[in-house]
Amino acid sequence: MRNASDTATTSASGSPTVVRVIRGVQVLAVVAAAIGVLVFPQTGPGPFIMSVGVVILSYACMATGWNFVGGFTGYISLGHAAFTGLGGYLVGLLILRADVPSWIALVLAAVIVAVLSIPIGFASLRVRGASFVIMSLALVLIMLLIFQSWSDVTGGSNGLRVPRPFGPEVLRPEQHERFYYLHVLLLVIMLVAWWAIDRSRFGAGLKAIREDEDKAQSLGIPTFGYKLSVYVISAFFTALAGGLYALWFGFLDPIFQFSILTGSYMVLMSLLGGIRSLFGPALGAAIVGYAIEFFKAQYGDTQFHLVALGLLLGLVVLFMPEGILPSLGRLLDRLRPSATSIREESAEELANKRAVLVGDNGGAS
Amino acid sequence: MASDYLLELTDIEAGYGRAALVLRGLTVQVPPAQIVCLVGPNGAGKSTVLKVASGMLVPRSGRIVVDGADVTGKGPQQLLRAGLSHVLQGHSVFKEMTVGENVNLGAFSVRDPRHVAERLDFVKSLFPLVADRWDALAGALSGGQQKQVEFARSLMVDPKVVLLDEPSMGLDPKATAIIFEQVVRMRDAGTAVLLVEQNARRALESADVGLVLDLGRVHISGPARQLLDDPKLGELYLGGRPRTSATERQPS
Repeated sequence: MRNASDTATTSASGSPTVVRVIRGVQVLAVVAAAIGVLVFPQTGPGPFIMSVGVVILSYACMATGWNFVGGFTGYISLGHAAFTGLGGYLVGLLILRADVPSWIALVLAAVIVAVLSIPIGFASLRVRGASFVIMSLALVLIMLLIFQSWSDVTGGSNGLRVPRPFGPEVLRPEQHERFYYLHVLLLVIMLVAWWAIDRSRFGAGLKAIREDEDKAQSLGIPTFGYKLSVYVISAFFTALAGGLYALWFGFLDPIFQFSILTGSYMVLMSLLGGIRSLFGPALGAAIVGYAIEFFKAQYGDTQFHLVALGLLLGLVVLFMPEGILPSLGRLLDRLRPSATSIREESAEELANKRAVLVGDNGGAS
Repeated sequence: MASDYLLELTDIEAGYGRAALVLRGLTVQVPPAQIVCLVGPNGAGKSTVLKVASGMLVPRSGRIVVDGADVTGKGPQQLLRAGLSHVLQGHSVFKEMTVGENVNLGAFSVRDPRHVAERLDFVKSLFPLVADRWDALAGALSGGQQKQVEFARSLMVDPKVVLLDEPSMGLDPKATAIIFEQVVRMRDAGTAVLLVEQNARRALESADVGLVLDLGRVHISGPARQLLDDPKLGELYLGGRPRTSATERQPS
C-alpha cells in the first residue's frame, strides 16, 4: 500500500547517439589541440614566436597549478605568485649557493615550497571568501619585501641570474624548443593529476566543500584536512611551474616574481577557461597569454594590455561567469533531447498519492 | 548498561556564546524505530536540540548517549560515526551536483564499498525518485524532491537515528504530505527519527511520540496522538482551535 506512490523507473538521459556524437566532438577537440601543441615548434616559427609559445605554456602550467585550489575548493587565491616566485628563487639559490644540479634543484625547490605552504595554508584556510583573498595578497607582498630587502642572499632589487641548465653549445632557438617541450611535459603531468583527483573520493569531498563547506562537514568530510592537502599540492605544482620558468628565463627580479599581476593572471585565465573544467585554465592561459604578448608587441611597454585584460575580465564575469568550456558544454547539452526536462506528475498519479496518504493516516491512529 | 533508547539526551544545558542558555535541563529519549517529534513555539530551542545531538554545538552540561555509548562532547564526525545523521534545515542538497553524487557523498564516512552498495540498493528502494533521477542535477529538482534526496543521503551511513530539522520548511501542502509519508517510511524501514517541526499538527499526525518544548525544557510528553487530542494543548502550542475528531483530516 505504501509503495503505491512509487513510480516506474524511467531513464532520463538523452538518446545514446547524440551523447556519443558530443563525446566524439570533445575527444576530437582535445586530440587536435594536443597535436597542434606538439607540432607547433616543427613549423619553423622563429625564436621570438617560439619564446611566446614557452611563455604561454608557462602561464598554462601556473593556471592549472592554481586550479587545484581554485577549481576544486572554490577558494580564490590571488597570491599564488608567491609560490611561482619562491619556486623560481629557490631553484636559482640552490644552484648558485649549494651547487645542486639544475633538475634536482627544480624538484627540491618545489618540495621545499610545498613544505612551506603547510603553515601558510594552515593559517589562511581558516578564513573564507574575501578574507582568504586578502590573506593571499598579503602573502605575495610579504615575499616581495623579503626578497627585495634580503639582498645578501637574494640579490635584492638587482635581481638574480639563474644559470642555464644546458651547456653553451645549445643555442637560443634550440633552448626555446627544449623548454617548450619541458613545459608541455609538466602541463601533462598536472592535467593527469587534476583528472585523477577529479574522479576520486578526495575530489568528491573537495567539490562538496566548494559548494557548501558546512554541509560537507555535516556529512563527515574532514574539510580542513582536505583543503590543506589540495593547497599543498597546488603550491607544489605552481612552484614547479615557477622553477621551470626561472631555468628558462635565466633572470629573476622580485618586482616581477612576486607581482600581484602574475597571481591575477592565473585567476583570470582560469575563470576565463572555466575553473571546473580540466582544460579550462590551460585554454584561458592560451587566450590571455596570447593577448598579453600581442598587446606588448603592438603597443610596446605601455600599460595598455592591462586595460584590455581588465575589460576582458569584466566581460567574462558578465556573460560567461562559469567560463568558456562550461558555456560550450551547455550549448552542446541543448542538443541532448529532454535530458534535463522535469517529469510531470499526472492528475491520476496525484490522486493515487492522496488516496494512499489519507489511508495511511487513518490506519496509523 | 543496556538501554531501551537509541538516543538519550539527559539534563542538557546549552547555549550560544555568552548569551543566556537556550536549553535548560532538557531530556529527550528516542526509542528504536519510532518517530519522536519536538514541537514548540519559536525560540523554544527546537533546532538547538538537533545541533547538540549532531555535535555542532557542545552542551555545557548533560549527557549524550547513543545506543548505550557515551558520546558527550564529541564533534560532528564522531557523532555521525556513532550513528546520528543530521538533515539540516532548508535546502541542503549540493545543487551543482547530480542526485547520484549527492547520495554517494552521504556514504563518505563509510569505507567498505560492499556496504555502500548495499545501502544504495536500500535507499533506492525506499526512495524510487533517487534511482529515477540519478543523473539529474540536484538543483533542478523541486523543493520536495530535493528533501527526498537529502533523506536518501542521510540514510547512506546506516544511521541509528536520523535528525530532521524542519523537513517541511518552504514546501507546499502537497509536497509536505509526501515528505511526511517518506518520514513514516523511513521509520517503517527501521530507522528511528528525531523530528523538529514548525508545522506541529501535521508532524504529530505522523509521529509516535510527541514532546512539547518551551523555554528550553520538555514541558509535556506523551504519545503523539494524545497530544493532538488534548484541547488545551492545541490552543497553547499547536496553533488555533483544537480539532475534536481525530478522523477529521485537513485535505491539504
